[in-house]
Amino acid sequence: MIEARGLRKVFPPLTALDGVDFAAHDGRVTGLIGPNGAGKTTALRILYTLMRPDAGSARVDGFDTVSERRRVQSRIGVLPDNRGLYQRLTARQHVRYFGRLHGLGGGELEGRIDQLVEILGMADFAERRAKGFSKGQSVKVALARALVHRPQNILLDEPTNGLDVTSARVVHELIRQHRRQGRCILICSHLMQEVALLCDHLVVLAAGRVVAQGAPDALRRQTGENDLEDVFLALTGAREPGGHVA
Amino acid sequence: MWRSIFVVFAKEAVDNIRDRRSFLSALVYPLLGPLLLGGMISAVSGVVSDNPERIVTIPVAGAEGAPHLMKYLDQRGIRVAAAPADVTAAVQEGSVDSVLVIAPNHRQRFEAEKPAGVRLIVDSSRLPGLLSVSRMLKILGDYNRHVGRQRLARKGIDARLAQPLAIKSVNVASRANLTDFFLFMVPPFVIFAVFLGGVYLAIDTTSGERERGTLEPLLINPVARWGLMLGKFLAALLFTIVAVVVQLAAFKLTFLWVAGAESNFFRALDFGAMAMILTLALPLMALAVSLQVVIAAITRSYKEAQTYLGLLPLVPAIPGMVLIFAPVKSQLWMMSIPAFSQTLLFGQALRDEAVSWAGAATSAGVTGALALGLLYVAARLYEREELVFGRR
Repeated sequence: MIEARGLRKVFPPLTALDGVDFAAHDGRVTGLIGPNGAGKTTALRILYTLMRPDAGSARVDGFDTVSERRRVQSRIGVLPDNRGLYQRLTARQHVRYFGRLHGLGGGELEGRIDQLVEILGMADFAERRAKGFSKGQSVKVALARALVHRPQNILLDEPTNGLDVTSARVVHELIRQHRRQGRCILICSHLMQEVALLCDHLVVLAAGRVVAQGAPDALRRQTGENDLEDVFLALTGAREPGGHVA
Repeated sequence: MWRSIFVVFAKEAVDNIRDRRSFLSALVYPLLGPLLLGGMISAVSGVVSDNPERIVTIPVAGAEGAPHLMKYLDQRGIRVAAAPADVTAAVQEGSVDSVLVIAPNHRQRFEAEKPAGVRLIVDSSRLPGLLSVSRMLKILGDYNRHVGRQRLARKGIDARLAQPLAIKSVNVASRANLTDFFLFMVPPFVIFAVFLGGVYLAIDTTSGERERGTLEPLLINPVARWGLMLGKFLAALLFTIVAVVVQLAAFKLTFLWVAGAESNFFRALDFGAMAMILTLALPLMALAVSLQVVIAAITRSYKEAQTYLGLLPLVPAIPGMVLIFAPVKSQLWMMSIPAFSQTLLFGQALRDEAVSWAGAATSAGVTGALALGLLYVAARLYEREELVFGRR
């Protein structure tokens, strides 16, 4: 369960977030959508504890992301905007490193790594050093290290950005699987097809504010548009009356 | 918490052992000092002999014009060789150290008991030239007195009349050779290794992580930021310790090869002195690495950090280089200066002087306190949002 209340963040002279409220519930995939520069990544960074809000607060499972940072960190798994890998470590060593930092170890940790290697289809590069990994392989490693401690809350920034169809499908299946397990999943995306496919709930951001939120169908009804892309354009004000994209 | 610190430490150590640059700065760069010093010692010991009376060969031009002098040289055990055709050029390019040139009218003037000309051609910018000319001047001076005494005696005059001073110089150095001079060069090289050993690791694990985008995921883990910082600090410290140990071992081996097991060099750098240097260096290593972590945390990029940290090792080594040529008597207040105090203490350990405990404690205390202060600053810097996302 993730809650944001009145989040505000200013990078003078820009106001990145201007009073953002939303909630992401367990057992649901919540999509944070909006045009470039709407504040999606900033909101996510506050939720995963790397930024402090100038005003407002964020809670994960009831714990404050600033004052109870460590408790929040042990309850979240994050695929951040920066998903860099250590060039000289193998895929398995990456996952093991993060698992150990979460206090895991021994046979239990190795078992979980084996499981993730299988689910994500990493068997043929698990023992290879990350130098030269393809984008798809890199994202899989980054996902595995984010999920190794089995977090209740999963935050994914553009999870399929740059992936081919096969890799994207693996990621989608992983997200559905975690939803079935009752976890809280928050994804940031600008791919409307992906959003339509995965999300149970949408939060639409534009210029640092929440302009609409609700189930995809509710938003369709609200805007009178059928295609989610049109819904998006209508909500974020990117389309002028008369149907032309500005 | 200690478990997490160890996890970070172990990961950084393994990761950087696989990194060529970290490996170079910890294992290969420290060898440059011993190699350089070894080269200098072997070059110099070829021309500096412990026995100034040893047989030498000197090229003489026009030797047939001074048979009396040649006979004297022969008696003194000096071999006379033919001079090269172009005397000046030969001396300049160093193919001979010096040449004695006999003036054409030497024989007539000598027989007429007038000052007979000889010239010594030498390049004073070359150490072998300087040494050979001073030896030659001494021999020629001896010859002057020897012949003068004979001539005066023939005229019934006591030669001592022409010798108002009786000069004798007394050398009080504990070792009557250049050992001390070269041993003074060891401390600045050690200081250099202290500031170089972990530098790439310190940059790589902070600026490097930020630039490659691995710092953001790392900081989301439930470990206090100061713990992550400390793990990286300890890994860089390990590399620094390895660098200094490698360097000391290389000095020991170089001294063995170049000067031999019986040499003063080899005996000065015994295991006691090595252990002492390593212990005295530990607080300075902590200071060097914490400074590196701080600089890596505030600079904007890997390149910027590298610019500052690449020059850093030179600065603390400078006082030691000055001390080679102008040794000072160490005083307690000097022990409060990091790098300088260690340079003085290393020198004491090497020259078998008693290392003053008050001095060593002051040095370790002040340097260690500064290192702790910098670690605190580094921990604070790790808390800033700018650490991950850069300055805006």
